[in-house]
Amino acid sequence: MFTVVAEDVTKTFREGRETVTVLKGASLHVEPGEVVALEGPSGSGKTTFLSILGCLLSATSGNVVIAGEKVDPARPSACQAVRRRHIGFVFQQFNLFPALTAAENVEYALNLKGVDGAAAKEQARSLLERVGMADRMRFLPRDLSGGQKQRVAIARALVASPSLILADEPTANLDASVATQVLELFSELARREQRSLLIVTHDPRVRHVADRVVGIADGRIAA
Amino acid sequence: MVDLGLKTLLFDKVRFLITVSGVAFAVTLVLVQGGLFVGLLDNSTITIEKLGADLWITSKNSPNLDFVHQFPEANLYRARSVPGVARADNLILSFMQVALPTGAEETTIVYAMTDFSRWGVPWELAEGSLAGLESGSFVAFDESASKRFGAFGVGDYREVNGQRFRVVGKTRGAKSFTTTPLAFMDFHRAQELQPDLLAGKTSYIVVKLAPGADVAAAKTELERRLPYNDVYTAKAWADRSRDYWVANTGIGFNAFLTVFLGCLVGVVVVAQTLYTSTMEHLKEFGTVKAIGGSNLDIYRMLGQQASVAAVVGFLLGYVPAQLLKPVIASAGLKLIIRPQLTASVFVGTVVLCLLSAIVSFRKVKNIDPALVFRS
Repeated sequence: MFTVVAEDVTKTFREGRETVTVLKGASLHVEPGEVVALEGPSGSGKTTFLSILGCLLSATSGNVVIAGEKVDPARPSACQAVRRRHIGFVFQQFNLFPALTAAENVEYALNLKGVDGAAAKEQARSLLERVGMADRMRFLPRDLSGGQKQRVAIARALVASPSLILADEPTANLDASVATQVLELFSELARREQRSLLIVTHDPRVRHVADRVVGIADGRIAA
Repeated sequence: MVDLGLKTLLFDKVRFLITVSGVAFAVTLVLVQGGLFVGLLDNSTITIEKLGADLWITSKNSPNLDFVHQFPEANLYRARSVPGVARADNLILSFMQVALPTGAEETTIVYAMTDFSRWGVPWELAEGSLAGLESGSFVAFDESASKRFGAFGVGDYREVNGQRFRVVGKTRGAKSFTTTPLAFMDFHRAQELQPDLLAGKTSYIVVKLAPGADVAAAKTELERRLPYNDVYTAKAWADRSRDYWVANTGIGFNAFLTVFLGCLVGVVVVAQTLYTSTMEHLKEFGTVKAIGGSNLDIYRMLGQQASVAAVVGFLLGYVPAQLLKPVIASAGLKLIIRPQLTASVFVGTVVLCLLSAIVSFRKVKNIDPALVFRS
């Protein structure tokens, strides 16, 4: 079973009186444990495609199935449930909550997925250990480096063991050595835990860890 | 559970302080204005409450405590003969002029009875004694009179309606709604001071019923025996007096307007601050949704933030209002903040802050999902 099945996905936006079609029949399949790099110029539809696969945006038409669950745009609560159960996000800007410590950022994501109390604390600690952040658990994001923040973000993305991790330019704000470490972490997650990774990127180093590089241009996925 | 809403609220201490300051200001304003309003009205009925009479017999259609017409003092005997009446006395209430050492004149409201000791007024004596008032030209003024009359003490002399009186007592807390100082003297002395108005007359008959007496029955019988008078229970008379001032002076409208504006200030400040905060944290809210949160999770957060701002703001506003009491008292005014007022303002603060939070809900509902991906 594919982790991601996207078939003929289109997305149209209304901008004033004009209609803009950002995705024009994009199709993609991602297998369990596969790392796919999605490359394309600005305006090609990468973020829109990522948003649809992440159940943050509904497609105008087409078929999207995540971990065997069909994403139905007419049922927002069902989309939210798919997001909760199967998808983790890693963002370019890390998107950590500045008022929470590293441990609390991960713990909060667990709380949203129904894990509370001591169990959430223990899981958060364990996840942060896995990404090498055990000694920074009580630090606020403002006291962490870029690489450390991204590690915390990855730990957060891993809560509830999602089948799919969507990463938007995860190395864009990191220096070379840190970027390499983060990519190695990604690679390890895919290989060891059979998680699928879809990485939107302009970073050529991602190609080294990707099983497949897919291009997107003018709203269409290139083979 | 990690309390993201509370931690975010308290993380930006300056913004939190601004938000609660706005709420505190509004709370102080509403409590002080409401308390002044209650204090003013309290003056209008305090003698009714303190005197301790169960029933008040007045001239027909008297509008309030201070504005009464006189009626025959002999009606007292009819009142005393009604079953259930333990005691009844005449009470004169009349405006008189006091000559000041400077040569100017000021008005006083004279309360006159044959025996004050049988009743609850004056309820607090700061200095001197009212014993033996009937034995000469003796008067007690409330200490608040010093504001208008100048300083005076027990043993001093003042002219009341052209007659020389010796000050034998200083009372405390005896004020009228109009802040005209109160004076206490013997019933017959008062009649002598205004013979055209008061000879053979009284302003009120105050009635104390025997324990267990039927108030309604006694009232009905008094009304039957005194058809040219009105008979009120103490509460009804106090309500009538209070309502007169509220309806006829505009203080009710003034108080309402100030309370309304105070609430408006509070709502606007909280709504603006919460909305600005929501806009600044929009990406965070988008992230909450991305990592599995719902709109309801975010609404709860905003509601919690509004509630915390309401409670903290209320406490910060309540304290200054209480601290203002002595300051306001020095101006001769009363600030009465009763538990009911406090509770109402607290509940109102929480409700209005929660309503302010609703302004932000729409923004949260329509967050652009791509916002989380933007740099």
